[in-house]
Amino acid sequence: MSEALTDLWQSLSPLAQDILWLALLLLPALATGLIVTWGFRPGALAGALLWRFRWTNLTFIALIAISIGIGVGLIAQERGLRKGTARAAEKFDLIVAAPGSEITMMFAAVYLQPSDVPLLGGDIYNEIATHADVDLAAPIAFGDSYLSSPVVGTTPQFVTHLAGELAEGRMFTASGEAVAGSRVELQIGETFEPAHGMGDSAEEDAHAGHALKIVGRMPPTGSPWDRAILVPVESVWEVHGLTNGHSPDHKTRIGPPFDADYFPGTPAILVHANELWANYALRSEFTRDDTMAFFPGAVLAQLHSLMGDIRQIMSVMAVLTQVLVTAGVLTGLIALARLFARRLALLRALGAPGRFVFAVVWTYAATLIVLGAAAGLGAGWIAVDVISSIVTSRTDILVTATLDWPEFHLIAGFVSLTMLLALLPAFMAMSRNIITDLRA
Amino acid sequence: MSLPLHVSDLQVSTPGGRVLLTCTQFQAAPGEVIGLRGPSGAGKSTFLFALAGLHAAMTGHIRWGDTDLAQLSDGARAAFRRNHIGLIFQDFLLFEELSALGNASLATSFNPASKRRSIINTAERFLKSLNVPAEARTVDSFSGGERQRTAIARALAHDPAIILADEPTASLDRKTADGLIEDLIGLTRAQKKTLVAVSHDPHLLERMDRVIDVEDGRLQMEAAGV
Repeated sequence: MSEALTDLWQSLSPLAQDILWLALLLLPALATGLIVTWGFRPGALAGALLWRFRWTNLTFIALIAISIGIGVGLIAQERGLRKGTARAAEKFDLIVAAPGSEITMMFAAVYLQPSDVPLLGGDIYNEIATHADVDLAAPIAFGDSYLSSPVVGTTPQFVTHLAGELAEGRMFTASGEAVAGSRVELQIGETFEPAHGMGDSAEEDAHAGHALKIVGRMPPTGSPWDRAILVPVESVWEVHGLTNGHSPDHKTRIGPPFDADYFPGTPAILVHANELWANYALRSEFTRDDTMAFFPGAVLAQLHSLMGDIRQIMSVMAVLTQVLVTAGVLTGLIALARLFARRLALLRALGAPGRFVFAVVWTYAATLIVLGAAAGLGAGWIAVDVISSIVTSRTDILVTATLDWPEFHLIAGFVSLTMLLALLPAFMAMSRNIITDLRA
Repeated sequence: MSLPLHVSDLQVSTPGGRVLLTCTQFQAAPGEVIGLRGPSGAGKSTFLFALAGLHAAMTGHIRWGDTDLAQLSDGARAAFRRNHIGLIFQDFLLFEELSALGNASLATSFNPASKRRSIINTAERFLKSLNVPAEARTVDSFSGGERQRTAIARALAHDPAIILADEPTASLDRKTADGLIEDLIGLTRAQKKTLVAVSHDPHLLERMDRVIDVEDGRLQMEAAGV
């Protein structure tokens, strides 16, 4: 039986599963509502109570909305960040570097958060670049900067691989030329002198006299590379007073092939294989004593799976916070119910069944919850937008988070749970002494 | 529906057990109009609420026709009130956010669908005959007299055989109170309802068939059956 149900569930489309799951989560709320109000028309009186204490009720609704909005906003944001980081890494099939920490190297080469790492020499570069399965092998030489932009030495082929056609200008063709990321403030034709290092520890005058000129601009990639300035790797070597990767006979050449004898070293090499399967072979081949090869996507997946646990905890915390806020609101309702206890006692005196008073108070509380949840959905939408823009501007990773089914399910679960909790103030209102309240 | 009242060996207590009222014998014929008079705290309202079956702790018998309210469960007492009793209070106890008709037809919220139409029709009829403003505005802008007339329409809307009124004129000025007395007594007699009203108002009490004094938790003239 359960196997047949599982098969049936699996045969449904993801959309149908999501809709069904939403309906299942809302079912307790709907069932409670139907049972509680069956045979009665508590709407007008619940409406009267809502209007009578409208400012207090608005406060309650706002509290529920804010707690829901922040909760779903954060959860959607976490998913958006995961997608954004994955999108930023998708051009980086395989990275080869000197043995060390894969995570450190991934942050440095993919997300441009540089670290001091050992360099790979020309022999290794050429071994990779001339490998039969390799389509593209590009040095990624980070470490310099201009203001807040990392200056990265690489090859024209990498620029095309990363961003496709340039948005404006042309590719660098000589040492001293540069292509800017889409969010770099320098205009085409402007020159700059790179600093050695990044951030506060950058040495501004270390490369004085080595002016670089912007000749082209990449389209947006949604990654930290939008903030980077890409230069020929030869320029990076030259401003450091090193040989430029080519023999004196070819010293004006830009890009591969490089001469191993004149190759000063690169912290990382991006490798793009000509076939998907070849990536795995290359990773095995270059995982050895003097090199480390890894898939940034796989490292990221490990990080995400770690974050997956955090996400579950976040979801539970979000629901818990919302339930706590609602419990607070319901406690407020119990206090508020004392204010309209006389009207409720009147209903009993007029012959209303206890269950009707129960239905009025429950409908009143349920309306607050539904309105709060609906407003929370709106607040979540706004929160997602605001947090996305903050995260995007802080990390340079384009995060386009939107509310999706998991958030709708979360809200539906919240509504059902709290509508069950709302039975408590309703029960307490029903159990009061009629005469005492009538004479209050 | 004709519902004679017969109270015997009634004792009403607080939930804590303190005796509030005793009544060994009291009777009222259907259609009688009876006043309850006495000093504050004497037990008039307690007796009135007991007749409505609102007190939880009661022993003895309160028979309206064949129904002994004192012996019924809370739910059954509520059902009896729903069908046979209309209540009027000193301070009206209206829902300020509803219109006159919304208040007068309040019982439609908890009565079965089959009764709703007749409740609304009756409420409209009484509101009209009592000259209550019929527009949609809420009753919070009404005068005291208009509010109490709305409350009377509410008490009569489900066509009960019994009207129980607790100081119906106490919150009104003399002129408004006199007008209300005319309406209340006039309607009650015209509709052949039984009316029991607690009041200090001599203008109301002088229109009663008989007046019972209540003192120290006892009905003073009950044996005489005046």
